[in-house]
Amino acid sequence: MMRGGFASLHPSVSFAYYAGVLLLCMLLLHPVLLAVASVLLAVLLALLGGWRRLARQLPGMLAVPLAVTLMNPLFSHRGRHILFYLFDQPITLEAILYGATMGLSLLAILLAFASYQQVVTTDRFLYLFGAAAPRLALLTLMTVRFVPLFRRRLHEITAVQKQKGISVSEGVLRKRMKDGMLLLRVLLTWSLEEALQTADSMKARGYGSSRRSSYTIYRMDGRDRLILTLLAGLAAATGICRAMGLGVLTVYPRLEPITLSVADGACLGAFTCFLIIPIILEGGDKLAWQFSPPTM
Amino acid sequence: MAILTADNVSFRYPEEQRNALTDVSLTIREGEFVVVCGASGSGKSTLLRLLKQAVRPVGALSGQLLFRGRPLEELNEREAAARIGLVFQNPESQIVMDRVWHELAFAMENLGFEPSLMRRRLAEMAHAFGLEPLLGQSVHALSGGQKQLVNLASVLLLQPDLLLLDEPVAQLDPVAARDLLQLVHRLNRECAMTVLISEHRLEDVSPLADRIVYLKDGRIAYDGTPQEICRRMDEAGDEEAMRSLPSVTRLYLQACRLEGGMSSADEPAPFTVRAGREWLLTRLRPDGEREAGGGAVSAARADEASAPKAREESHPPRDLELEQPGWSVRLPRTDAGSPAPLVECREITYQYERGGQEVLRKLSLAVREGELLAVLGGNGAGKSTLLQLLGGLRKPLRGKLRTQPGLRAGYLPQNPLLLFSGETVREELAEAARNARQPEPGAAVADVLASLGLEGLEERHPYELSGGQQQRAAIASVLLGRPSLLLLDEPTKGLDPLAKEQLAELLEELREQGMTIVLVTHDVEFAARRASRCAMLFEGAIAAEDAPAAFFRDNYFFTTAVGRMTRGLLPGMLTYEEVIGRWAQDGPSF
Repeated sequence: MMRGGFASLHPSVSFAYYAGVLLLCMLLLHPVLLAVASVLLAVLLALLGGWRRLARQLPGMLAVPLAVTLMNPLFSHRGRHILFYLFDQPITLEAILYGATMGLSLLAILLAFASYQQVVTTDRFLYLFGAAAPRLALLTLMTVRFVPLFRRRLHEITAVQKQKGISVSEGVLRKRMKDGMLLLRVLLTWSLEEALQTADSMKARGYGSSRRSSYTIYRMDGRDRLILTLLAGLAAATGICRAMGLGVLTVYPRLEPITLSVADGACLGAFTCFLIIPIILEGGDKLAWQFSPPTM
Repeated sequence: MAILTADNVSFRYPEEQRNALTDVSLTIREGEFVVVCGASGSGKSTLLRLLKQAVRPVGALSGQLLFRGRPLEELNEREAAARIGLVFQNPESQIVMDRVWHELAFAMENLGFEPSLMRRRLAEMAHAFGLEPLLGQSVHALSGGQKQLVNLASVLLLQPDLLLLDEPVAQLDPVAARDLLQLVHRLNRECAMTVLISEHRLEDVSPLADRIVYLKDGRIAYDGTPQEICRRMDEAGDEEAMRSLPSVTRLYLQACRLEGGMSSADEPAPFTVRAGREWLLTRLRPDGEREAGGGAVSAARADEASAPKAREESHPPRDLELEQPGWSVRLPRTDAGSPAPLVECREITYQYERGGQEVLRKLSLAVREGELLAVLGGNGAGKSTLLQLLGGLRKPLRGKLRTQPGLRAGYLPQNPLLLFSGETVREELAEAARNARQPEPGAAVADVLASLGLEGLEERHPYELSGGQQQRAAIASVLLGRPSLLLLDEPTKGLDPLAKEQLAELLEELREQGMTIVLVTHDVEFAARRASRCAMLFEGAIAAEDAPAAFFRDNYFFTTAVGRMTRGLLPGMLTYEEVIGRWAQDGPSF
């Protein structure tokens, strides 16, 4: 479905963004940077899917990162700053910070994946990588069609076969299982029969007669190029900072202060700018509609 | 110039005793609109598939097929795909992709078109066919007619020179069917596309066709313009072939016979309601010919209002008689005063999912014992849902559904294949008998096989049977459950005229044995001829119900072709048998 804002960009731009997010969130292991990233990605997710949906999804997404944060100090006891002893095991500040960093990294990645699913849908993904494996891409698309089709057919078959007493909702377990298999068999026979016709229809339309090309409904325009350049520049800047050793919290062997240096600040700035681009697009789009709907 | 030539083509499927096609010779000129007609199994589909190499059936082929003077076999795959387009019968199973735009582009992608070319052609086609609103939709959201439109458009995007259509409208409702045929006709007229279309009914296609080729048992029985073939069928007295003619034309031919002669060559036979009406006017009022002349239609319109009144004055009792046409004696109408109805719905409401649309809305309907109730209505009006509710397969959300205690209902789905789970017909029926706890399953199966004419097919797989046979096997399976109420979902869909006749006879026999039948259908002609009561479903409720004569008499669109043709002239006449019956009795002047 076409929509405004971030999801209206060319699939390669949105895919590049998520690839960048994934890479940078794994490299920039600094709790402050990752916390900022998590907040921004959560805002993006909310803009795409609504705040209510975010509130529903968030507890599930927090569980694993929280567990990592809490578990790490229980298993790792390295570090100089021992805060207290739990069951005669030292709990160190380093271990807590390290766990928190890992947890935040994980959280940022989960949030990114959640919005990725809404922006880079199956057909967009296949558009991007279909050229590499055209047959696989076609097969995947055809399968995508079969899921709702089979569900609907099974529903019909169930209703019709019920009058013959064949039903999975009544009788002893053995009978239910047998009937279930029977319903599936009817579905398969019917679908195979139709698949033969589908194969004919594909052959009649020249499938396999030449090398396939692919029609796309996406076009790379000026805005896409501009945003792709911006994203690439900012990601490169952040990457260079990272290569210079910035934007990462050294925990071992000696814990750095958690506060950011000026140079770290530059790294955070570039990273934030990178992350915030889709939010500006998405939020800007919403605001534009809210305050000045296009005049008729 | 000939685009396609078949020279003494014969074809036999492997392991078959008979030829599917025998000595078929045919020349199709550029830009012609040709209809291949014939009963199912007459070789229509085989002929069309032989013309399309990619789907050519396996078997022994003799004779020669030439495309623009070159043997068809010499065309390479790419050329064959692009030059000759083929659309199949089943709208759903032809679709490959998930989205409409992708389905449309599928054929072009297969031939490796450049993206810019694809975009241009798709834009043009979407515009010409009015497909823009559908492009982004999922194919599941489309109606049958829209699906078939997408299938046609996808083939047309390759810009074929020859378009083959294998019973393209057999699975569609009448409105969608006419729309699709009109579109094909437009392509033929405006783009000079050569069209070869197979059909077993000529009702809708004969006014569009330049030529009709009638196949019988794999041989060409008649070949010529619609006028010519109907004349030759008439001369040969070929009742079976004449069954496929439009009812208006059949009425004309019968009337000519009654008048003691063959139809004359200088008077063209009518194929449309308009032409039929013009002809009828000349017969009813021979003195009106001088004013009619070329503009008989306008004269007819002017006469429409006054004519019935004039006749009423002259023969007052006749119009009263017409309220009870002859066949209503054969199918006695149960009176309102009969015992409690078999099933009674009172203000039932149904929806498929929470928050979804209400498919049925406060519907009230009573099914009386021994009747044949036909429920008509548009697509998605909830006809199938209503049947499933009557059969107890679904429970109403609100409202009361009262059934007579101990009532058994048998439901036959639109697609009979849904009902089959056995490997052979015998196995299927034996299982149905067991499920119904028949005391003597073997005898019951033999009995039902004999009464439905299924002997000799017992060892076949249900999927191997023809459409009509599949349906009879499904009815057999349902009957073994000893129902007293039979519910049929679109039983005439895709049936050829003979199979339809056989179905009608079967239903009649069942009724004589005391069966009550409710069927939902788009087939107005069938309902008018065979039902004892008709009901119209509209917006989830019954909008009208009455005996067919009264039900269809007041409808303007939703009535039989003969009903439209005789509107205002012979009130209450819906089928050509009725008109002919009167004609034989009273002569043309009535």
